[in-house]
Amino acid sequence: MSGHHISSAKFLWIIATSLFFLTFVTVAVTWINIPEPWNVVMAIAIACVKATLVLAFFMNLYWDSRFNTMLFIASIMFFFILIGITLLDTLFRVDPVPSF
Amino acid sequence: MATTEASNIKKIQVQRYKPEEYPEKHFMNQEKGIWAWMTTVDHKKIGLMFLCSALFFFFVGGVLALLLRTELLTPARSFMDSNVYNQVFTLHGAIMIFFFLIPAVPSALGNFVLPLQLGAKDVAFPRLNLASFYIYVTGAVIVLYAIFTGGIDTGWTFYTPYSATTSTNVLLITFGLFILGFSSILTGLNFIVTIHKLRAPGITWNRLPLNLWALYATSIIQVLATPVLAITLLLLTMERALGIGIFDPNLGGDPVLFQHFFWFYSHPAVYIMIVPGFGIISEVISTFSKKIIFGYWAIALSSLAIALIGFLVWGHHMFVSGQSSLANMVFSFLTFLVGIPTGIKIFNWIATMYRGSIDLKTPMLYAMAFLFLFTIGGFTGIMIGTLSVNIHLHDTYYIVAHFHYVMMGGMAIAFLAGLHYWWPKIFGKMYSEFWGRISCALIFIGFNMTFLPQFVMGSQGMPRRYHNYIDQFQPFHQLSTVGAYTMGVAFLIMAAYLLYSLLKGPKAPANPWGSRAMEWQASSPPTLHNFEHTPVIINGPYDYHKPMSEFQLGIAGSHNGHHDHAKGSVNVPETVTEKE
Amino acid sequence: MSDTTTAEERKVQHVQHHFVDGEQQFETAKLGMWVFLVTEILFFGGLFAAYIVYRSWYPELYTMASTELDTFWGTVNTIVLIGSSLTVAMAIRSAQLNQIKGLIYNLYITIGLACTFMVIKYFEYAHKFEIGILPGRHYTYEGIAHEKANIFFSIYYMMTGLHGIHVIIGIGLMIWLVVKAKRNIFHSEYYTPVEITGLYWHLVDIIWIFLFPLLYLID
Repeated sequence: MSGHHISSAKFLWIIATSLFFLTFVTVAVTWINIPEPWNVVMAIAIACVKATLVLAFFMNLYWDSRFNTMLFIASIMFFFILIGITLLDTLFRVDPVPSF
Repeated sequence: MATTEASNIKKIQVQRYKPEEYPEKHFMNQEKGIWAWMTTVDHKKIGLMFLCSALFFFFVGGVLALLLRTELLTPARSFMDSNVYNQVFTLHGAIMIFFFLIPAVPSALGNFVLPLQLGAKDVAFPRLNLASFYIYVTGAVIVLYAIFTGGIDTGWTFYTPYSATTSTNVLLITFGLFILGFSSILTGLNFIVTIHKLRAPGITWNRLPLNLWALYATSIIQVLATPVLAITLLLLTMERALGIGIFDPNLGGDPVLFQHFFWFYSHPAVYIMIVPGFGIISEVISTFSKKIIFGYWAIALSSLAIALIGFLVWGHHMFVSGQSSLANMVFSFLTFLVGIPTGIKIFNWIATMYRGSIDLKTPMLYAMAFLFLFTIGGFTGIMIGTLSVNIHLHDTYYIVAHFHYVMMGGMAIAFLAGLHYWWPKIFGKMYSEFWGRISCALIFIGFNMTFLPQFVMGSQGMPRRYHNYIDQFQPFHQLSTVGAYTMGVAFLIMAAYLLYSLLKGPKAPANPWGSRAMEWQASSPPTLHNFEHTPVIINGPYDYHKPMSEFQLGIAGSHNGHHDHAKGSVNVPETVTEKE
Repeated sequence: MSDTTTAEERKVQHVQHHFVDGEQQFETAKLGMWVFLVTEILFFGGLFAAYIVYRSWYPELYTMASTELDTFWGTVNTIVLIGSSLTVAMAIRSAQLNQIKGLIYNLYITIGLACTFMVIKYFEYAHKFEIGILPGRHYTYEGIAHEKANIFFSIYYMMTGLHGIHVIIGIGLMIWLVVKAKRNIFHSEYYTPVEITGLYWHLVDIIWIFLFPLLYLID
């Protein structure tokens, strides 16, 4: 089918190698003592970079219709809504008045 | 025709294709035999199978409701013990919501009408459509089995910790509902992709019928929310099976977390139920006012707005559950927002009727009943969204009345409007207008008799889900029960005249209501592939000021021409050559 | 709009009756798979939400419990899964270039890597079961000095278990693709099932990319 992007084998290997490297970085970072909460931020940030590489270049979102990218971003937004507003509850609970 | 620069306007030759009246061969007899029905990938047959299932469950849920109301005629025990009563109201809720309200419009009427309104030959994934039906049936069978082998008494909301510890059949029922959820997800997926990819030439986004905007918004909700229900039910199942303790305070878990997950789906679920109804009302009101819809974009975008804002308000079901005050305030505020797009719709529909040429046929009567009943339901929803008021009204009959006004007075009435509107299209038969109106009037009167007293009772403190009550509430309960039986009679009348219509009713013309919408430009009932030509649209879907012939244009060709707006290459221009 | 695909082209590209041409069918299938991936994200999202809520309440529990998870094998599994993403992308590439042998080989390697993942998972679970780290009420391990330790592991089992089920489904799908490829059904003008199975597999990989640091690398 004309018009479908075909990545070269070399390109796919480069992406895979980057992912392997980032995996190593993720593990190596845990050997350094980073204060909370930044260690979690770091781990998630690296995971996001890896996920973006997979999405853009293995799943071909980079060359695909914009709409598919928007679909994916929308799902992440709704996940944030779920977790964000739930945390508004779970993180802000105050113990009830003892005398009650 | 531009010849200089690369013009992306292409002129095409169209012909008029009048739909065949009273066709001999149509979708119900073109494939013969029970095997053909059971393995069909035709969206119309699948829609019909969903319709029959949904109506069956509506009947079952209705009978359960009458049992409840009969028990409540007197304060003391009439014929049910309290634990039987608990099981009956749980089943009434679960069956009505999961087996009737959620699939009735999208999977039943929607499946039938959506491709026709798009000028498509079928939905994007016909085999997935059939799978969706069988998943529904599987879920239904599991749930029915669970009901008969132990029942369930947790309320349809399955709140932990009771649902994790009660000895009734929670595990099997949650598993059955888990399966059922996939039916909803797959239908939503199919609709989204169909609307994006299979529109006939000329159906740009600003010419999409509002019914399809509504189904599109509904499908978005189905796709985003139902997976969260699935994981919630899976967690509850694991909680019971393995005791994982996520929702069990003894093990460090949090029962309110269950409520967060549950309502994250279940609040958008109520919009899954009502938004398709909004779509039907847009179609019916425009057709029977013979007038262009007022505020097309307002209605279209408000459907999307409701879909979005509906995801932000789930905590208003949990004001007294022990949420943080911060969450309470945020949810209450956001709940007020969701009333705005809904209100916009109501005003637009009324404005559509203003100075229209109103034809009081049965579907229109139902649509007008909807406007009245849903407005009451909507208003009372805003009232109980108010945090301070909710503290007193939570778990009272006020809530019960509110959601019956929106679910039944809104959604079920809209469903009946759609059923009566598309009945001639689906079955090729007309029903008795006289009996249709009688039934509609009885339902309207019976409904208000049933639920209006419940607002009063609730505000005076009558709790919900209680099988006995103090004497001061008896007159309200009795009035409510009389109303329920009135509705029961009305539905029996409806079953009678609809059945009569199928067996002996007069044959329906292709377009009995004079609508401009695309499904009416196919025959009644439609042929197997909907259209033998590729329809071409040059007007908006509610342009009643344009002649009917302009809605029956098409080009010869056996497959759907796709409108590829992403590449922006082809547009059907205003001027087309028309041949009689 | 004139329709230029011939009946022959429709047959070769397995175009169903309600589509104009193979291209529309392919794009539609891809859009459908992306919508399905959205549902998967929300499905796993619920579990991630539970994880986040409990981690915010019991951060020290997570730190302690995570020591029971073997970082080495988790890293190996991550490499294995990323490798399988590479090979499935190669498989699609082979199909696009009409190299059916290459397609089949790459699918075999992907299946092999996926099975490796499951085998390593099996050993991880077996080891935990041996020392009493079982889900829910069956938890008997004494080695973590936190009374709520079972919550972490319940979440661990739910997340990795559900992910594992998705891996097994993926293996099944790819075996089915191999069978069809051997029957010469795929070629450069029709490889839609390969493409959409690949998308599914990449999502399974992405979910693990997030599971790995969140479960194994809490220091």
